[in-house]
Amino acid sequence: MIKVIAACAIGAALAGGAAFVATSVATESTATAEPVNETLYNYGDR
Amino acid sequence: MRGAWTARLLPWAVGLVAGVLALGPALGRGFVLRYDMVFVPDLSVRGVLADADGFPRAIPSDAVVGALSSVLPGDLVQSLALLAVFVLGGAGAARLALRLLSSADGPTAGTAVASVAAGVAYVWNPFVAERLLLGQWAVLLGYAGLPWVVAATARLAERSPGRGLAGLVCALIPAAVGGFSSVLLSALAAGPVALWRRGPRALRWWARAGLFAAALVLVSLPWLVPSLTAGAVTDPRGVEAFAPRADTPFGVLGSLLALGGVWNAGAVPPGYGEPVTALLRLVLCVLALATWVWWMLRRDRPVFGTGLSVGAAVGFTIALAGATGAGRAVTSGLIELWPGFGPLRDAQLYVAPLGLVQALGLAFVVWWAAGAAQAPVWRVGTGVFAALLPVVVLPGLVWGAGGRLEPVEYPDEWVRAQNEVAADDVPGSVVVLPWSAYRGLDWSGETTVALDPATKLFDRRTVWNDDLSVGTPDGGTVVVEGEDPLAVQVAGVLDPDPETGMPRGEDLAAELGALGARYVVVSAPVDNGFWSEGQGFEVVSEGSEMTLFRVPEARVKADKPGITGLEVTGGLVTVGAIIWSVGRSGSSLVLQCPGPRAGRSTRKEIPT
Repeated sequence: MIKVIAACAIGAALAGGAAFVATSVATESTATAEPVNETLYNYGDR
Repeated sequence: MRGAWTARLLPWAVGLVAGVLALGPALGRGFVLRYDMVFVPDLSVRGVLADADGFPRAIPSDAVVGALSSVLPGDLVQSLALLAVFVLGGAGAARLALRLLSSADGPTAGTAVASVAAGVAYVWNPFVAERLLLGQWAVLLGYAGLPWVVAATARLAERSPGRGLAGLVCALIPAAVGGFSSVLLSALAAGPVALWRRGPRALRWWARAGLFAAALVLVSLPWLVPSLTAGAVTDPRGVEAFAPRADTPFGVLGSLLALGGVWNAGAVPPGYGEPVTALLRLVLCVLALATWVWWMLRRDRPVFGTGLSVGAAVGFTIALAGATGAGRAVTSGLIELWPGFGPLRDAQLYVAPLGLVQALGLAFVVWWAAGAAQAPVWRVGTGVFAALLPVVVLPGLVWGAGGRLEPVEYPDEWVRAQNEVAADDVPGSVVVLPWSAYRGLDWSGETTVALDPATKLFDRRTVWNDDLSVGTPDGGTVVVEGEDPLAVQVAGVLDPDPETGMPRGEDLAAELGALGARYVVVSAPVDNGFWSEGQGFEVVSEGSEMTLFRVPEARVKADKPGITGLEVTGGLVTVGAIIWSVGRSGSSLVLQCPGPRAGRSTRKEIPT
């Protein structure tokens, strides 16, 4: 059981690390690359 | 890793952890206001029921929120509603996977990890992220209920009609609260399940279809009755405005396949279009879909597999049709023929059943990767990593979508105006200015677009401009006309300036009073402070954030607001049916002990 829990923790930690890297990549990309989306709304400024 | 606790608690824990991680700051004190998501302090049930003569979009979701707000703080009710989306959705999908993949001896470590994968994938995907950022919490509540509805529908075949109906009505409670879109999604995902079901059947297909239709009608009466009697119209221009669009580099098809493609660019999570994560997300979705198809070809496929596949395919076709000119023309034609086809305008909504298919497909991948009971532990670790991949490829949803779901407190002026109106016994509506539905609220320091909260602040009917202006990619603007006939009359009196939304009409107190208005509220800072002079209003409260004017009582020609006996009866029937279903079914959304199971290779059980 301990081995299983340890394996789960390692898997979760790896996923957490990968999520952190993905967040960094996405954040940097948003700041430097052309956005894919076009703004559709034109209200909300009143 | 075996034991009853796994089957009982793990699915709920998955949903709870995912919800806390996704919502983050939104669970704190204060109100999260974003696009269609508007919660106010002490939301009045009377105000909700008296509101708008058009299509009852806020019923019964706002009525339920109003009822809960009478015993709990409004911001806590909002937190619970948002968290319920993740807990119910995550738990439902995880329980479904757990029961489908468990052997006769109970869940193994691999099965438990697979159920985590299903729960995570179901609530952590672009559909949930985009609808959450669009503020459509009621729709998401219906989405969260889909696994439960599919399971309960599959069980119709093996239960007595009364118990089967009770179980289904019970599973439909989230959709009942969510309203029309939620019920439609439930019908789409589970309707085919009622018709096509493998395994032992005590009821014929037509009996199951009849029970399914009866359950849908029972939970729909609060919005169905007023919508059939209101004579509301739907503007077909909404088909163009709400068409699915590409929010990844892979076009509309790729975006929809990855459960994205919402029409509003402002509802896309941060970093969503980044090519690497977008590609990984698409690969994960395709892998999950391919695995689902493979599962469907095996002997041990889920009993509801064919029906759910049909529902997902039909939903995806509707969504895809909204992205093509011919499809939009057909939808527009249908809406012109009968306004009841109006919900088809927002075509991307119908990819929801595909979310459940993908979640279960990913669970099967993870189950295969994590291995059976005696598999090496490294495979369990690999399975856990794979189960959390939906979070890895969609990091933009973490912690309130990068802080975009930040709660705010209402300014004191708003609460003061709310109390002033509540203390007034004279009947009459509240006209909301500027004459524009949405506001750029900057109470948190950052401007957030939201439906004007003043439309829900008061305990009486509000009249506001329910036209929706949407900017098109070519720089143009589409105005989707609203559905409230009284708003059209009021607009004629106000003669609003299209730039400022402030009125240019004269003798407004008399004119608006004749239309039943008792108050006029200005719910945003306006440059022109002289528009109200000489109009005959009494100033009740004045401030930079909100100014409240009163029409003298002698000029108000207002009928006492009320709802028809038919609408009251419909609402009571639904409430009665839900109470009966909870007592009769002894299952579904109520915590329960899983029943006995057969082995994987013989028969699939489903949680209800």
